[in-house]
Order: sequence, then C-alpha cells, then structure tokens
Amino acid sequence: MKKLFIALVCLLAVKSAVAQKDLLSIDEHNKYIYYQVVPQSGLTVDTFQNRAAYFLKINYPKNKVNKSELPESITGTGKLLMLTGISAAKHIDGEVNYTFNIEYKDQKYRYWLTDFVFTPYYVDRYGNSVPQPGIDIPLENGAAKLEKGQLNNYSIQISNYSKQFGDRLKQYMLMVSAAPIKSDKKKVITTKDW
Amino acid sequence: MKKKLLLLLLAASAFSYASKAQDTVKTTADAPLVLYGSVDTYYKDDLSGHANIPTSFASDNNSVSIGMIDLGLKKTVGNASFVGELSFGPRNDQSIPTSGYHIQNLYVSYNLTSKLNATAGYMSTFIGYEVISPAGNFNYSTSYLFTNGPFQNAGFKLTYAFSDKVSLMAGIFNDEWNAYTSEHDVSTFGAQLTITPVKNWTAYLNVATGPTSGTEFDLTTAYQITTAFKLGLNAATFSPSHYGGGFSGVALYPQLAVSKAVTLGLREEYFKAKTVDAGSTYVLAGPLPGGSVLGSTLTANIKAGPLTFIPEVRLDNVNKKQYSEFTDSNLAPTTSASQFVLAAVYAF
Repeated sequence: MKKLFIALVCLLAVKSAVAQKDLLSIDEHNKYIYYQVVPQSGLTVDTFQNRAAYFLKINYPKNKVNKSELPESITGTGKLLMLTGISAAKHIDGEVNYTFNIEYKDQKYRYWLTDFVFTPYYVDRYGNSVPQPGIDIPLENGAAKLEKGQLNNYSIQISNYSKQFGDRLKQYMLMVSAAPIKSDKKKVITTKDW
Repeated sequence: MKKKLLLLLLAASAFSYASKAQDTVKTTADAPLVLYGSVDTYYKDDLSGHANIPTSFASDNNSVSIGMIDLGLKKTVGNASFVGELSFGPRNDQSIPTSGYHIQNLYVSYNLTSKLNATAGYMSTFIGYEVISPAGNFNYSTSYLFTNGPFQNAGFKLTYAFSDKVSLMAGIFNDEWNAYTSEHDVSTFGAQLTITPVKNWTAYLNVATGPTSGTEFDLTTAYQITTAFKLGLNAATFSPSHYGGGFSGVALYPQLAVSKAVTLGLREEYFKAKTVDAGSTYVLAGPLPGGSVLGSTLTANIKAGPLTFIPEVRLDNVNKKQYSEFTDSNLAPTTSASQFVLAAVYAF
C-alpha cells in the first residue's frame, strides 16, 4: 500500500515536470527566451556549422534560415502550432512564430529561441484554420491579451517545443556521419544464424 | 478497497501521462485530426411585432430560437487533406435547399506542387463577405448580398499561388448553386483572384458564371488597418441567365475593438433589385424589382472565452413604398423595418 502511494506520488511528480513552462526565462530585452550553452569537446567551428545546418535541413525544413556573413552562427525563423483539446482530436488555436540562433566556438556551442509571437487562427469558410491578419501578440504581452489558461497552455507548448529543438540539435552535434538520425529504426532479426 | 482505488488512480495517471508524453513530442508538419465548430442561439424582436426583414437566418420573431450545431473534422497528411463539416438546426435547413441534407463542406484537396493545389467536392462558396457559420460573421443577421448570392458550390478547382501576395483560383462547378448534385451538367465557371496589396489587406475578385446559374461578379476585401480597427467591403452584381432581374449592391463593414473583450461594428448596405422582363420567375429576398433598400446594422461582439454575445440593432429602409414588402404593427405597408437581436455563439 505504502509502495503504491509512493509510486503514485512519483508519477505525479514526473507528470508535473512534463509541464515545463519554467524552461522559458526572461532575457535582457525583457523577452521570453529558451537559452542553453552546451560544451562539446573535440569539434571545430566548421564542424559545428555543418552539423547545425544539416540539423535544420532535416528536422525543420520549413524554417527560414537567414543568410549570415558570420561563419560561427546560424539564425532564422520558424513557427509552431498552438493546439488545445483532447489527444484524439485537436483544435488549432493559432501559431507562434519565433526566431532561433545557433552560435559556436571551439569546444562549445549555444542556442536560443526567442521573439515568440502568437497569432490566433480562425476557421475560414472552407473549414481551414488560418491566421487572423493584423493580430500579433508577443508572448510577453500575453497576460494582457490572452486568458490565463491559454497563456499557461501556450507557454508549456513553447517550452516543450524548445526543449525538443535543443535535444535534437544535441543529437546532430554529436553525430559522426552525415546520415539523419532515425530514432525509431527497427532492428532486423535473422533466424538463420543462432 | 483503498488499494483498488489507488491502483485505479495510478493507472489513470499513467495513461494520462502517456498521452501527454505523446502530445509533447508531436512536432511534425502534419497537423493532428482537428475538430472545429459552433453552436448558436438567439432572441429576435422586430418592432412591428412580426418578422419583416427577409435576409437569411434568425427568422423567428419574439422567440428564443436556435441556429445550428456545426461540427467539422479535418486532417492533413503530407500533401493530402480532407474537410468534412456537418450541421443540424434551422440555420442548416435554411442554408441547404435539399431537405434532410446536413453537409456544409465535404471535399478533398491535394497540393500538386508547393504552389498548386487541387480541390474537389462540395465547398462553401468563394463569393461574398459573409458566411453560413455564425462563428465566421461579425453581425448575426445577414446582408442582402449574402442572402441572394450563392452559399455553396460543388465542383473542382485549382489554386495557383504566384507569390505570397497573388494567387488565382479557377474551377468548374455544378450548374446550380447550393446543390449537392447538378441539375443537368457541370457548367458554372468560377474564378477568384486574391491580392494582398499590403500586409493585413486582402482583396478577392470573384466571378461565377454559367448558363443555368447566371453571372455574379463580386469584390470582397478586408483591411485590418490597426490592431483595433478593421474595414471590410463587399460589392457585387448578379444577373440571371434569362428574363432580366438580379441585383447589385455594396456593403461596408467598419469594426472597432474598444476593449480586450468588446468590438463594435457597423454594416451599412445598399442593395438594389434589378428590374425583370415579362415571364421572369426570378425572386429575391429584398425589395421588389426596381426598388432598393438601405440596411444599417449596429452590432457588438462581447467575448467571454469561446462564447460571443452579439447584441444587434438593425434598421432597413426601402426607397419607395411600392417596392417594399415591409408592414407595420397594423400590417399596413411601410418602407422601414427595425429589429433587435441578442445572440450567443460558442465556437470551438
């Protein structure tokens, strides 16, 4: 009984950790930011650059990458949908546009996602969810323009997305070959040799 | 007992956690199965004591009445999409001439390239400013231009995006509007040129023409000038294929957000019924042939989360008594009609 209770408490603790809206911080411009510095020995700026570009190409092909004159960074913009509702059928509330920056020095790299701007969607006559023109709400102004539950939900989704962006980037920065990482590759079993 | 309860809690929590975990890792480009829709209810009071204004929906006078329940499902996988939208209620019945049918949208589409899309099925019309779904309109009552124009077109269309600012749709549609099946053939040609001259301003130049359905030219445009002020415009002219008749008109839609929850809007519409030739069977909702009407509608949208309360006052004035079908409280002919509507629309 006691063990069951402890297991339940642990599960609830893990569950609450999934709601990771606290991963977002405020930067010196008073903007929400997801910021990480990752030490990685043995890699040069050129290698970081190639791997970061490849990471974006494979994982975020719709993101716009800015042409940078600096060899030690990649910047650009992307967007993610804000969803609500049960798992089986979602409702699209809107989209959040963001900018991303990946910078590297020898032996380490850093990245951050910021400039989160929410644009609500409406359902048009054909049933398509489309952005409402002229309504852009920076996440920092969300408290004044969005309901508390909405803002909380969006912050969690942005945090989870940002964390996943970083986790994937880390995989690609560690990658030795140029092949894309397939996390769900199934192992083939041969019954001939045993 | 306690142990069982705890086990149940644990199982429910684990299931919920698993679901959540799956949600949080889903960041692929394909959207999930999306559910959308609305329900609406209203109360209308025409000052004459009986319903006078003949535009679509909100037709019951001095009654707490329902509009419709609208339920849509859509899904995109790769380049392929579908939309299916069902509706039930008086608003549905008044929007679809085929009794017992409840489909507002049912179509499939495919992105042939990143710029070219092909769509086939039964779709809301591309013509006009207002729509059937109450969640898609600012005013609860509808305009004469909307009421007398097409609601849906069944057919096949191609849309090509020349750039972010210009796209062109062209298609071939069933010979009759608002019908699931054609009467004779698929002979209505439709096209829409979409232009975005500046950010937040979009204009649609539309045409639908066919030997059975007649010809309508339509301009629909909306400009979100500031975050608080939006201006919309709809102008159209329609001519049936035979014996004259039809209509032309223009409607202006200024809207001002006065607070986070409240937006005020005006619809000012001028609508003229064209004269008909002898033998014409053409009938429209509005003034008699040759007459015109000026409709002024003042509407507020008061938001409470997904629920919108819509109080609205409307005054319509026909130019001459001989063209008017309005009657006063004594059922005597008159040139003006006025009504108050309070509606509630829940959209999800």
